[in-house]
Amino acid sequence: MFPDFTNYLVLVEKIFGIVGSLIYLIFALVIVKQVNTMTRNVRDKFNGILIVFSYIHLVVAILLVFLAWIIL
Amino acid sequence: MTRAKNLDMVAPDDMVETKRELRNEIVENKVEPAMVKDINKTKKKKMVAKTDITGDLNDRIYGIVGHTKHSLSSLLVNPHVFDFEERAAEEKIILVARPHWFTNVSWIIISILLVLAPSLLGFIPIIDDIPARFKTIGVLVWYLITFAYAFENFLSWYFDVYIITDERVIDISFNNLLDKKFSEAKLSMIQDVTSRVSGLGQTMFNYGTVYIQTAAEVAEIQFEMIPNPEKIIKVLQLLRQEEERETLEGRVR
Repeated sequence: MFPDFTNYLVLVEKIFGIVGSLIYLIFALVIVKQVNTMTRNVRDKFNGILIVFSYIHLVVAILLVFLAWIIL
Repeated sequence: MTRAKNLDMVAPDDMVETKRELRNEIVENKVEPAMVKDINKTKKKKMVAKTDITGDLNDRIYGIVGHTKHSLSSLLVNPHVFDFEERAAEEKIILVARPHWFTNVSWIIISILLVLAPSLLGFIPIIDDIPARFKTIGVLVWYLITFAYAFENFLSWYFDVYIITDERVIDISFNNLLDKKFSEAKLSMIQDVTSRVSGLGQTMFNYGTVYIQTAAEVAEIQFEMIPNPEKIIKVLQLLRQEEERETLEGRVR
């Protein structure tokens, strides 16, 4: 009789999912920081839109962490 | 009054201040009205001469490059909205160049394919065996990465700017999210300007790289993949001539 590894596998999946989404969250934060630096350096018409997009990306990345926590 | 002596050095907006000062001087020192008229005439003449030079230069640059049609255009002539952090207060931006739009085609096509990929993968039977929770997370991650890829490429293009002001040429490059480069050279330091258009795409759409050799600390500034390199060279020639003329006339800032 083999031991049941299913629970361990689910746990490993969850940990991978959460760690991966956290790494992505850091990447999203870097994008926000970098867009802010870029827009401070070079000011043009579409800077505001770019900042908004970077924050939307960050919010979805945060959502991903929660989803990984809840769903996986 | 020191301001009046250096009239060529003050901005047009400072005239109001100068007038107010002049009025104060009239009240305090009782300057004759005839003298005031003479001073004003001299000032007006100098201002008109300076405006003529700037206006004439602008017209010549418009004549070479043409007018900007869109804010996302690769060449912005005398931009009203564009500005950069390192610009000196009295420095005027003559031209802003970004890489040609054709350089964006490859990442735009890849992004479109990445967007379409999940719907195309639906036809593969093995995908059906994956649990729904993994599918949800997987699709979200896929679109996030696609967005990040497209966004980063757009940022690299949008913030990769080459600026020509009335004083210097500047190259601001963001090669990726963690790499920023700023290099500049004064117009008077430019020694040699060459351009290179090579390859099918560059020849068809007339874009290429302008190499600006300088006597400054940065030996060479490259305006990469910019449209109409020959026009940029002409603008640089014009500005260098203007700079030399300013030096001869003693109008250098």
